[in-house]
Amino acid sequence: MEFVVISLLNGITYGLLLFMLSSGLTLIFSMMGILNFAHASFYMLGAYFAYQISTWIGFWPGLLVAPLLVGAVGAAVERYGLRRAHRFGHVAELLFTFGLAFLVEEIVHLIWGKVAVDYRIPEELDGTLFSLFDTDFPIYKGFMMLISVGMLVALYALLTRTRIGLIIQAALTKPDMVEALGHNVPRIFMLVFGGGTALAGLAGVIGGNAFVTEPGMAAAVGSIVFVVVVVGGLGSLGGAFVASLLIGCIQTFSVAMTLSITDVFAVVGIALPEGSQVARLTITQLAPVLPYMLMVAILIFRPRGLMGARES
Amino acid sequence: MNSPAIRVSGLKKNFGASEIIRGVDLDIQRGERHAIIGPNGAGKSTLFHLISARLPVTAGAIELKGENVVGLKPFEIARRGLSRSFQITNIFHNLSVFENLRCAVLWSLGYRYSFWQRLSGLKDARQRAEAVMEEIGLSRRRDTPAGILSYAEQRALEIGITIASGADVILLDEPTAGMSNTETEEAVAMIRRVTEGKTLVMVEHDMGVVFGLADRISVLVYGQIIATDAPAAIRCNAAVQEAYLGTSLHSGIAS
Amino acid sequence: MNSVIFPRGRLLLWGGGLALAIALPLLFKSGFMVSLLCQMGIMVVFALSYNMLLGQTGLLSFGHAVYYGLGAFITMHTLNLIGKDGSPLLVALLPLVGGLAGMLAGVVLGYVTTKKAGTTFAMISLGIGELVAACALMFPGFFGGEGGVSGNRVIGKESFLGFTWGPQVEMYGLIVLWAFLATVAMFALTQTPLGRMANAVRDNPERAEFVGYDTQRVRYLMLILSGLFAGIAGGLTALNYEIVTAETLNAHTSGVVLLMTFVGGIGFFYGPIIGAILITVMQIVIGGLTHAWLLYFGLFFLFMVLMAPGGIASLIAVQHKLWQAGLLGRMLPHYLATALPTLVLLAGLVGLIEMGYALLAGEGVGAGDTATKVMGMEMQLNAPGPWAAALGVAALGLALTRWIGGRTRVAWNATLSTLHGDKA
Ligand SMILES: Nc1ncnc2c1ncn2[C@@H]1O[C@H](COP(=O)(O)OP(=O)(O)O)[C@@H](O)[C@H]1O
Ligand SMILES: [Mg+2]
Repeated sequence: MEFVVISLLNGITYGLLLFMLSSGLTLIFSMMGILNFAHASFYMLGAYFAYQISTWIGFWPGLLVAPLLVGAVGAAVERYGLRRAHRFGHVAELLFTFGLAFLVEEIVHLIWGKVAVDYRIPEELDGTLFSLFDTDFPIYKGFMMLISVGMLVALYALLTRTRIGLIIQAALTKPDMVEALGHNVPRIFMLVFGGGTALAGLAGVIGGNAFVTEPGMAAAVGSIVFVVVVVGGLGSLGGAFVASLLIGCIQTFSVAMTLSITDVFAVVGIALPEGSQVARLTITQLAPVLPYMLMVAILIFRPRGLMGARES
Repeated sequence: MNSPAIRVSGLKKNFGASEIIRGVDLDIQRGERHAIIGPNGAGKSTLFHLISARLPVTAGAIELKGENVVGLKPFEIARRGLSRSFQITNIFHNLSVFENLRCAVLWSLGYRYSFWQRLSGLKDARQRAEAVMEEIGLSRRRDTPAGILSYAEQRALEIGITIASGADVILLDEPTAGMSNTETEEAVAMIRRVTEGKTLVMVEHDMGVVFGLADRISVLVYGQIIATDAPAAIRCNAAVQEAYLGTSLHSGIAS
Repeated sequence: MNSVIFPRGRLLLWGGGLALAIALPLLFKSGFMVSLLCQMGIMVVFALSYNMLLGQTGLLSFGHAVYYGLGAFITMHTLNLIGKDGSPLLVALLPLVGGLAGMLAGVVLGYVTTKKAGTTFAMISLGIGELVAACALMFPGFFGGEGGVSGNRVIGKESFLGFTWGPQVEMYGLIVLWAFLATVAMFALTQTPLGRMANAVRDNPERAEFVGYDTQRVRYLMLILSGLFAGIAGGLTALNYEIVTAETLNAHTSGVVLLMTFVGGIGFFYGPIIGAILITVMQIVIGGLTHAWLLYFGLFFLFMVLMAPGGIASLIAVQHKLWQAGLLGRMLPHYLATALPTLVLLAGLVGLIEMGYALLAGEGVGAGDTATKVMGMEMQLNAPGPWAAALGVAALGLALTRWIGGRTRVAWNATLSTLHGDKA
């Protein structure tokens, strides 16, 4: 029981973090038709910027400044890179973001080195929020949830209450209509790209110290975020939300489960032959591939994704 | 063998809440040249999309040469001998004119997905593509990438791709739209030539073309067919007159 | 009507290429050069197989290494299975086993990935790639864990026509043979109904359906065949290095082949050949000179995406057209004039990056406090002097490049309009 509750809380925390990434990715994709391959790189930049700022003036200013910086970098990338690549078509755009991801990783190597940096949770947030049965739930996880939910509310308000939000919403449901607006909206594109990357940066700020801040973090999270977007349905914010939580929970539950495949089959009454390598694997060992297997299953049985409207 | 080339019954199509095709019944006989006219937004292109399976139908039945084709994929319908053109030019932009046409004949000549035959050794495919190229008057542009052809040339290629497979049921969606008078005349003569002996269904706005070419005409207004008849009868049909009052049909009849 | 079965120009090109490939190790005898040539040959096959997807069918894959890597592993296991009793002839045939493995992987995985095209395909290929890479870590029995799987390509008691494949030069011969066969086969494929329909599906999948083709089937078949050739490349890698690690099928390898293919040019059959050769040389030569080579790589790639999205092959093709029209002479002085300030700009940038690297990536503790060797020059990196100098050079280069580059562009546009004007 405690296992379920704690894992659920952990899963939701991680899922919300994933949603901060996948929501930005989805918004950018719906508005601009660009799949930002480098999205997780902005997540990484957020973490590193926050780390750097925290070594100078502390964690709290970084919480605000780092995402803004990342957003500014994102906007600049859109203005001076993507807009040009756009002229050469979709493949060029995708390749541009691919190259960007590669470049960001190298720049991070160059500036901060190849090993993890010591980006820590601030002391104020270090501790136990509450204990359930015998397991502690750290304050920082609660803080992450708070930030994510706050961001969610802000995003919702932005989308439903402002003019730009309405345009973005129109883009979500009727992409052709915004395409018809065409090149009259480069500023909105820049804002959306900057905003989406700033969201990713914020996720990096709060995720970087909860997990580790190292050059491989972008690649590790990036492919999971893509899985989220495919599972949720390309271009669907609601789908991205559900899929983020789903995959967040799958990840945390599976990591904590020590059952082996043989045990699982035994529960349903099938005895697997002893000794094969597959049968001895535990769910924990399977954890890294579960999201991808979910993706494959979705693709076979529900190619639109959970809530996707568009067939692409 | 007596079944009509196309039989559409009770056909409906909704886009979200809006009904665009609202119960269409239509029989098109083999060998007939049939024109579909109607105001913009009536649903003519949508009707073509439904028959050719570009869009899924909401309700109703479509038979092609006596066979139910609802639920089939576009390529399955193409293989059953129905070929269509598009109102908005839909060609292979980076391929040459010749390659465009050769791609269009490969399936019907039975080459399927072959990766063990050399294209240049397929004499029948080459000859057929060249014959079509001659018919549509683009031999001069044989090796030009389709994407840089002029508008009229692209429209001709569009028709060429449609007829190249030798399908016996042909749907043409506004083949002469946007052409000048002389271009239209040439295109009509070409269409008449290449569809000789085939079933032709054509959406067309130019009334001169319609009344000159069609054996029968259907008038589609607001998702429903309000009349299907021979040109002379359509000309005098009161309902048609009403629907078209003051529009191009009038001038078309007058001329 | 030009219906000669083998046009003479093409025959000459192929023969010349093969002759050059055979002659190269005679010219460069060093072990280093021969290894480099081996790597090139393998990458040429791999990149060409990748372009069957990207250039010919319009499928941008982020997981192509899967077919290459699985081909390599199966080849290695087969080699070890054959064991001592085998013969060099069997070893020579092993890349085919790799190819079949890659093809089989294509049959299974491609069924899922090719359901979609475009962006969705790109994402799914990435996911499948990650899936297989993660599996590789889960099954150390097959994939050999961290250490990989190794073997020995010299087996059997007798040689085959004098070959044991032991010496690197003999291995190179085997690679050339397979690379040539694979290249001919891949080129032939572009001239078949399936190959042409793949182009059609790339250009306009909707219309392809309306001329009777199942686009999903076309993509699927192309992916399977591409897997075959990627697997052959993988088999050659296994034999060449005699060790296969999980690295061969991960995202990094997929990224490298994409890079090679794109830089070479996806619009021409020979583009990936150029890319594979160029990038392999750069990897080894620049990689040997500087630690920052991946950074240069990234910059070069972005530069190509933004400035020459058709890759090197398309640049060559344009020059060829100019030459045929007798206009190349008009452009050459402009090229030279632009090259000079570009070199200045590059020198400045490279200086900045190298100094940054020396300072930050810190070779040793307290980098920058003492004189550090950068590009063969001793310099004090915590003093502003060297930085100002490099910045100055870069700025000068930038200004000159913009100025002269602007004039070159004007000349270029004029030449192009002459070229097109002549044609019309
Ligand atoms: N994909 C679509 N989604 C929603 N509405 C559509 C779609 N395609 C067509 N329509 C609507 O259906 C109506 C009929 O369109 P169409 O068949 O193209 O008319 P036309 O008779 O001019 O060819 C129009 O009002 C159009 O706006
Ligand atoms: Mg229409």
